[in-house]
Amino acid sequence: MILNPFIKPRFNGTQMVMIDVIIALLPLVFVGWLAYGGVLIQLIGIAVLSALLADFLFSSLLLKRFTSVLDGSAIVTALLLVFTVSPITPWYVVAFGAFSAILFGKVLWGGLGKNRFNPALVGREFMSVFFASIMTSPNIWKFKDLIQTPNSNFFKGLEDGFLSDYFSSVLFQTKGAMGEYSIVCIALGGLYLLLRNRISWHIPFSLLATFTLLNWLVGDIGLSYSMGGILLGTIFMATDMPSSPTTKNGKIYYGLMIGVATFAFLKGGIRYEYMSYSILLMNGFSDQVSLVFKPNAWGVVGDWKGRLEAVFMLSLKIGCAILAVLSLYYYDLIHFLVFIYIVYVVLKFNYSFSNKVNNVV
Amino acid sequence: MLLISSLKKKTKLIAIASLDSPKDFYIPLEGYRYSMGLVVEVGTHLKKYELVAESEGVFPCKIHAPVSGVVKGIVSIDGRSMLHIENDFKETALPLSPLDLRELSLSGLTDHLLDRGVQGAGGSQFPTHLKYQVEGKRIDTLIFNGVECEPFLSADFVLMKERYLELFRMAMLLASVLMVNRVVFAIEKQHKELRNVLLKCASGLGMELEVRLVPNSYPQGGELQLIESVTSMKIRKGFIPSDYGVLVTNIGTLWAMYNAVFEGKPYIERVVTVSGNSCSNLGNFLVRIGTPVAHVLNQTKNSCDLSSQTVVIGGAMMGKAVDSLDSPIHKGAGGILVLKKNRVLVNNCIKCGLCVDVCPQHLMPLEFVRHNIANNIEGLDSFNLQDCIECGACAYVCPSDVPLMENIFEGKSKLF
Ligand code: SF4
Ligand code: SF4
Repeated sequence: MILNPFIKPRFNGTQMVMIDVIIALLPLVFVGWLAYGGVLIQLIGIAVLSALLADFLFSSLLLKRFTSVLDGSAIVTALLLVFTVSPITPWYVVAFGAFSAILFGKVLWGGLGKNRFNPALVGREFMSVFFASIMTSPNIWKFKDLIQTPNSNFFKGLEDGFLSDYFSSVLFQTKGAMGEYSIVCIALGGLYLLLRNRISWHIPFSLLATFTLLNWLVGDIGLSYSMGGILLGTIFMATDMPSSPTTKNGKIYYGLMIGVATFAFLKGGIRYEYMSYSILLMNGFSDQVSLVFKPNAWGVVGDWKGRLEAVFMLSLKIGCAILAVLSLYYYDLIHFLVFIYIVYVVLKFNYSFSNKVNNVV
Repeated sequence: MLLISSLKKKTKLIAIASLDSPKDFYIPLEGYRYSMGLVVEVGTHLKKYELVAESEGVFPCKIHAPVSGVVKGIVSIDGRSMLHIENDFKETALPLSPLDLRELSLSGLTDHLLDRGVQGAGGSQFPTHLKYQVEGKRIDTLIFNGVECEPFLSADFVLMKERYLELFRMAMLLASVLMVNRVVFAIEKQHKELRNVLLKCASGLGMELEVRLVPNSYPQGGELQLIESVTSMKIRKGFIPSDYGVLVTNIGTLWAMYNAVFEGKPYIERVVTVSGNSCSNLGNFLVRIGTPVAHVLNQTKNSCDLSSQTVVIGGAMMGKAVDSLDSPIHKGAGGILVLKKNRVLVNNCIKCGLCVDVCPQHLMPLEFVRHNIANNIEGLDSFNLQDCIECGACAYVCPSDVPLMENIFEGKSKLF
């Protein structure tokens, strides 16, 4: 028996969603290629291959889904992963990152859509824990001699020196991780995703607004952060569908709390990973956020007091979690979180997720 | 808010045409909630307009013979029982008696509507006389629902365009019986050319009419959504609009009411749009209730093949696909659509939240799937499954083709 509706919009499959994200990332690939040429393409190639291989292998083995490798999500994960690392990261580290992103970030949860955490960021944390000496050495960010197209001032024509500097730094600036070089290209990708309705404005808007507001009110974090990094995280990672809330108001709150967490982490002195930590932290709460912000059904008068209380309690929990992460960071214990995570997913998979592989939710 | 390309342009300018009547009629014996019992015996010779079946109880319904002919017996088509009537092509009819309008009371009107078997033409087939049993309630607004938000369908549009005089006469009668001041015709923005036509004609008749243009979104024609657009009142599903002073009537129903009241005709025919993305000859046709789909498609020179196409009675979003082409037109069927088969590729839900965005009832459809799979009745209830109007918007947008409607229907059957 075929049920209604009997029509579907065109170009609307999961695969199409992933293709759109890949298209949105292309400007960044181009910028990276401008900066490093073949090196970047090599890294991307390795990451994509490793991710696809892991996806095919484990989806078939553990989930018995032989075609899920075709949905394109592995490519998105691999690209995002490459964009968060330095261009001189050794290839085997990147390959390891992509591999574990897929295995621990996606497949062990039961496949695309069931993962609670953003796979690319999970992969990144795995890299910094298991290759700590490489990933956290100061040398990893020294790659001046590799750069093929150095920062150049594209706006020399402008009279005002400060303005022209500013404009060209927005357009192209070789500092930090590979996805952070061009704010314009990140924004372009975001615009495309917005127009195609693959992301909604709620998360990016509230995240950036909160962060800017806090920065302006409290200030005092100087230039220790990279706007490109924050924008990349905001547009491509915080809005990742499976790991972000499903309700509109939930999305606004979620963006807001990521903004707060990012600011708190920067203030607490976390150097590089403030964005990953805050997104991963909120990923963990995203289901609860969706439910706390469940919309009122049509014509139902909501219980706003109860709602307020729930929001308050949730914010309290998130606040505690932020403090916990900061303390762990001080005592250099973050890597234990990753170990706990591994044990958790593996156990969960064996005792619970694997029985529900065929459930769609 | 969900926008679906309406695809009405294909049919909206085609005038209503008639079809030859078929040899075999299959009269659906499902009333509203209860099935109807026969009041004629197998083998009798029927006259056109004769009562053939009725149901009693809380939701009484009646249905009449669309032609003269012989009662052949009860058959089952697509799992539903139908009364088979063989047409004798003589059209010998009972005399028609219009309602006497001189001493008209509301109860006289509703009795007459029941007697002529008028039911909602918009899809649900709710008995119209029950809707108008509003003695003692104050009705402020009468809304006539010309918002066919379903893509492809244009039956109500052509009725408004060609039969507005009849519609207005009936609307004026209702307004005077119910003592209502505000009469609203609601139409979609895409049909705005109709607005002046309607207003001009209404002022010619000395009738005070408001034409409200509503957005082209889906499901704007849903009763609750339409009430909100016109009166900004949000009424919860399950509550009765007339308690809030509003009555909504579909245009097709209004026309059936006109036929019943002014001409005395039982509800035996309606306007049906034949269309679809895989249909070659389109149009709007006057079709008798009980006419098999196959006959309509034949007469309109359409061919179809159920293995590669879907044939739908009703709309593409909320209609029913038929398994057998003998399935007949019923009182709520505004269309016959021949559609390409949907390619369904079920994936995990990716939590995109699109279903939550488009749900007109502000529900979280993906949670219904979760709780239905887990057999968690309280969960289904706490996410307000009973408020779902089954509009299909969630399943339409879902990129993962999550079986939302299956789980919603299944979940609902567990709730009640
Ligand atoms: S079918 Fe029900 S749950 Fe889905 S969009 Fe319509 S009202 Fe909402
Ligand atoms: S639209 Fe489909 S994939 Fe998206 S959240 Fe709803 S059920 Fe999940």
